[in-house]
Amino acid sequence: MKKLFIALSVAIVALSSCKSLKEEWDPVFTFGANEPAAAKLYAESDLKDLGFPGTFTTIRDLKSMYKPGGVAIRSNVWIKGQVISSDVNGNVYRELYIQDETGGIDVKIGKSSLYSEFRLGQWVYVNCNNLTLGAYNGMPQLGLEADSTTTNEYETSYIDVQAIIDEHVFRGAYADPVAPVVADESMIKAAISAGYTGELWGKLVTIKGFKYGKEIFALIYPNPNMPHKSGNPENRVFLSDSGTWGIDTWALSKNTYIDILQNSNAWDSAQVGSGSTRYGTILSSPYDFRDKLSEKVLTSFGADASMPYKQIMIKYATANYVSHYFKVGKTDVQVRTSGYARFADQKLDSRLLDGSGTCDITGILSIYNDAAQFTLVDDPSISVKVY
Amino acid sequence: MRRLLLAFAALAFSLTLSAQEPTGGVKGTIVNRNGRQPIEKARLVLLKGAEQVAETESAEDGTFQIQGLPDGMYTLSIVAPEFLDNTVQVTVNDGYVKNMFNLSMTGVNRVTELDDDSFAAFDMDDSGYNDNPTILFGSNDVFNNIAGYNFSAVRFRARGYSSESQDVYLAGVKLNDAVTGYSPFSLWSGLNEAMRSKESVSGAEVSDYGFGGYNGLTNIFGNASSVRKGLRGSVLTNNTLYRLRVMGSYATGPMDNGWSFAANVSARLGGNDWIDGVYYRSFAYYLAADKVFDKTHKLSFAFFATPGERGAQNAATQEVYDLMGDNMYNSNWGYQNGRVRNARVRKTHEPVTFLKYDFTPSDRFQASATVLYRFGKNGYTALDWYDAQDPRPDYYRNLPSYFLDPNPDMNRANYLKWAWANEVWSYSKYYPNLTHIDWDRLYNVNRTQADGRAKYIQEERHTDQQDFNVAATFKWRAAENITVTGGLNGRINRTEYYKVVADLLGGEYFLDIDNFADRDFASQPWKVQNDLNYFLANGSARKLGKGDKYGYDYLAQVRNIGGWVNGKFVFGNFSANVGGRLGYECFWRHGLMRKGLFPGYPSNDEMARQWAAAGITPSEESSSWASEKARFLTYAGKLGLSYVIGGKQRVYANVGYFNDAPKFNQVFLSPRTRNTMVDDVKPVRTFASDINWQYSGGGINVRATAYFTSILDQSKVMSAYDDLQNAFSNFAITNIDQRHMGIELGFKIPTYFVDNLFLQGVLALGSYEYTSNPLMTQTVDNSSEVVMKDVLVPYWKSTPYADGFVQKHYLPSTPQTAASLGLSYNINYWFIDFDVEYFGRSYLDMNPLYRTDYATAGPDNRITDEEIVYMTAQEMFKPAWLVNASVGKSWFIKRKYQLGFSLNAKNILNNTNVRTGGYEQTRLVDNTVSRERFYRFDPKYFYMSGFNYMLNIYFRF
Repeated sequence: MKKLFIALSVAIVALSSCKSLKEEWDPVFTFGANEPAAAKLYAESDLKDLGFPGTFTTIRDLKSMYKPGGVAIRSNVWIKGQVISSDVNGNVYRELYIQDETGGIDVKIGKSSLYSEFRLGQWVYVNCNNLTLGAYNGMPQLGLEADSTTTNEYETSYIDVQAIIDEHVFRGAYADPVAPVVADESMIKAAISAGYTGELWGKLVTIKGFKYGKEIFALIYPNPNMPHKSGNPENRVFLSDSGTWGIDTWALSKNTYIDILQNSNAWDSAQVGSGSTRYGTILSSPYDFRDKLSEKVLTSFGADASMPYKQIMIKYATANYVSHYFKVGKTDVQVRTSGYARFADQKLDSRLLDGSGTCDITGILSIYNDAAQFTLVDDPSISVKVY
Repeated sequence: MRRLLLAFAALAFSLTLSAQEPTGGVKGTIVNRNGRQPIEKARLVLLKGAEQVAETESAEDGTFQIQGLPDGMYTLSIVAPEFLDNTVQVTVNDGYVKNMFNLSMTGVNRVTELDDDSFAAFDMDDSGYNDNPTILFGSNDVFNNIAGYNFSAVRFRARGYSSESQDVYLAGVKLNDAVTGYSPFSLWSGLNEAMRSKESVSGAEVSDYGFGGYNGLTNIFGNASSVRKGLRGSVLTNNTLYRLRVMGSYATGPMDNGWSFAANVSARLGGNDWIDGVYYRSFAYYLAADKVFDKTHKLSFAFFATPGERGAQNAATQEVYDLMGDNMYNSNWGYQNGRVRNARVRKTHEPVTFLKYDFTPSDRFQASATVLYRFGKNGYTALDWYDAQDPRPDYYRNLPSYFLDPNPDMNRANYLKWAWANEVWSYSKYYPNLTHIDWDRLYNVNRTQADGRAKYIQEERHTDQQDFNVAATFKWRAAENITVTGGLNGRINRTEYYKVVADLLGGEYFLDIDNFADRDFASQPWKVQNDLNYFLANGSARKLGKGDKYGYDYLAQVRNIGGWVNGKFVFGNFSANVGGRLGYECFWRHGLMRKGLFPGYPSNDEMARQWAAAGITPSEESSSWASEKARFLTYAGKLGLSYVIGGKQRVYANVGYFNDAPKFNQVFLSPRTRNTMVDDVKPVRTFASDINWQYSGGGINVRATAYFTSILDQSKVMSAYDDLQNAFSNFAITNIDQRHMGIELGFKIPTYFVDNLFLQGVLALGSYEYTSNPLMTQTVDNSSEVVMKDVLVPYWKSTPYADGFVQKHYLPSTPQTAASLGLSYNINYWFIDFDVEYFGRSYLDMNPLYRTDYATAGPDNRITDEEIVYMTAQEMFKPAWLVNASVGKSWFIKRKYQLGFSLNAKNILNNTNVRTGGYEQTRLVDNTVSRERFYRFDPKYFYMSGFNYMLNIYFRF
């Protein structure tokens, strides 16, 4: 009996020391709390173990490394900055903006819900080695090298492999949210003149004294499932040139989109097509243009081909980007919003719409084709002060 | 005077006779019910009342004889290792030795451990598919006896029938799940001793306990006196499901005072060698008592449950398995603070209790009535998250294939990202936080939230039943050649579906809103509420703490009542069964939570005012209160004919027609959100037939069967997460027809050249195919919009090829060819079995979306032959060969104790490439370069574990 007991004990000890066998009993014998320790927030002193050279490159200096087409960084360049963007409201998507005293930059972390992991004001350290510094219509971005799937206007692709993110982006200490830079028209003009390296781009900025320009811009794809690049004008409708096209909300949500089409004629004069290729208004159907459309395009509309474009748009309704034009002095600034933003259906203040009011807007300022553009981080009730 | 003398002489003679030794007795042969081979050293105890009057053992040829018995009634108790105990009544008359001929015993070694544990818990996640293996019982049938045990590893389903077609009774009550129809073996898993005694019929045969359907009926007795007498203990270890099982049971058997008591307890603990994260922490208890009154009345009571938890295994794509180098990879678990934690754990405690009354006024008539009640909790945990990254490690965007694909149309061409992702998955041990659930990260994300709102939680989805059943049966031998059986049954089932917050994972609270509606209706906060009434009363969504209900809460209410009768008529060698069943079934949904997306209409003026003030728009579809009732008249008829040829051969045939109600879960479009039912719900019509030849004699046991079954007008609802819609999408499919036909062969024959060595085998060759193109309606949970309405699924039953060839589509997840050939050797309480198995023509579960014109046309709306062939094809799994062996031995110690073991080794060749199931993901790759076509997502598979063993050591006295 004694021998049996010893043999069993030895067997149990031997088996318990085997990792896989031990692990299989973990859930059996885990009762109650087994909470993990808080995640490590890096201090600058911790970074040496990760290859940090000891000094940070400023964001301005990083931007100055840019060359058209994008630059693959192949040196031990590190930047640091505080988080100024949040995707909590849905108007920022798969991007993390950080800024230091010298500038801000869009770090293209291709993940959603980044606000769940990066708090406003939190310090972030980025090892730029093997990342790519590029631009999107003039706006600085830090991402991975572009590939053949990246559309022409982008020089970088998203950093969307978690292992790459873990290798390059390190979360630091929490801090108070960054106070916005207050800019006026002259500062905006100076930044536009500076182009890519303009100090305001990518920073949290407040501009005061805006007047609403009573003009919007939106590019609609009647059937989003169809090809809708510039080579497919039959699937493009521009709401531009003048007026607001009945849009009085901060963004063009799916609901608003359907509502305008179904309950108004505000878009009835919108033209299908782009550039010099125009097919007429959305009240006509693709079938009306069968002499101009290829058979393949017409077939691809299938049963929809006999519908007016307007009906096709209702059928395939989706949220859209829209830009509202504001003016400070004589300078236009677009406020671009996503139809998926939580504030999409909020209406612009009536004082802005009727021209009686002015406003201060806080957001992330970016450059888009030599023009300034705002991305709202907060809900307009917070980021837009009307008076 | 002479008469007087004669009378005295007669009296004296009779007194002389009575003073002689009694000459009566009993004799017979103890044989194995399966194969009829003799059983030696069976222990026979003869009782007169409670008094033991004789004891003996069977000889090598199974024979026994007890002599010197006075006339009277006796009870003969037979006990043999590896066989179920048997008790028979014997009447000795006129001093003769009564020949009992063959007394058969049912072997237990093969079926001992076959229960719900024989199957890994496949977690189908939110795929829309279900996994419900069937357990094939029937130790008195040579086919079922071999196939039931050997084929369980590949989740073989007899004749391709689904789990819900297999009727499982307990104490005379049909216990198939009222809502889903699934067989309920998990209710008593781990109570092997208590539930060992059972009787089964197969196919469309009629049982004494119920009318049954077309896929057999198993009645488990479950009462105290059916539990084997004595104290028994066993220790079992296996390397496939749990490491250790300890079990104990005690049963008094029938006592002099008419009482019988029985108890059974067990614990199943630990993990296994193959699937990480799968574990058991399960217990079981059973208490029962019987009381016999006047030999005519018997009351039986039992109470049992199997509380505990069990980690589940998830399916993965072949890409993941290949990268991990392990077809047993399980994405459900990860490390939390260095310890393994599974996100998908089934937690149950569902007690069952019954009271059964047996009435046996004569040997020509017997009746019973049972009241059975099932209640308790049945939960299944899962991760839930709000506005946060998908925590599943094998989410398709985390895999190398998301970044690089040789097909340029897929628009995936980033080698750098592919290389990184490939590195992570190929060297997973260096990246455990990326290749398994990163629990630490989930906690830390929750802690990052300044307001304490948890982004990730673990939810527990409940399916809590209150199931009340009554059933009564009778058996009446109306004449020597006529036996009538019949019964009545009724059921009231109230199943509550809801979920609770099981673990806040370091967060302080979770908000009770519809995560998916929140994206589209953020500006209408009332619309995103899971509990609109709470929102209206409090002005905000409920902040949830641990244990709080949220998300959805509704009742599935099911009622049914029915009766059946069957007559058996015997005319010499010919016998016939004819019977019928008639019933009524009704079910409905009752929502307990009013959801913002589907508020319905206000029920009074006050509510109407409140809604108007809050801007709430009433809806046609409602999430709360009672739905319409689905009502069905159900009926069935069966005819069975049998002819015995020469005492050893029997030819018999069964034919049946069934008109059954569909199940609740097959009819409601999106029961989590609303009361809406599928349009035009029809009863399921089934025609089943089989013809059989059986030979039993001289140690030979053979059964050959041919069958044909047609099942029409089925419906089902698949709810799967669709990240294109960013919501749960529901696919309701109606008018599904299928046909099952094939042959079954089972045999066990002596080899003749070695005593006690038998050749045994089975062959199941079937064709289970879809024979209709159904209609499909697609909806999403976060919108009342109907995405597709009654759209024909034109490629469901087949794939047409460009050259005119048409490939049929088959029922999935069971081999349509299954065969086993082996040897069985029994001697001196040793048994050794060895067999080789072959499984082929097993198919992947299909989703209806891929078989629509929408999917085959693609974005350009042009259907090409190439797209049809690609999109609608059904995958057939590679065939598999397996080798198994079993050995066992038991010993009697001091003629009183029995010690034994059995060791079963399966898949000895360690074949880890056997797919046992899987499913197609209900998703399309739509963002292609050409915008001309869609592509399928990779399917997900389950694999059978490699070499596995089960060692059971038991001790009984």
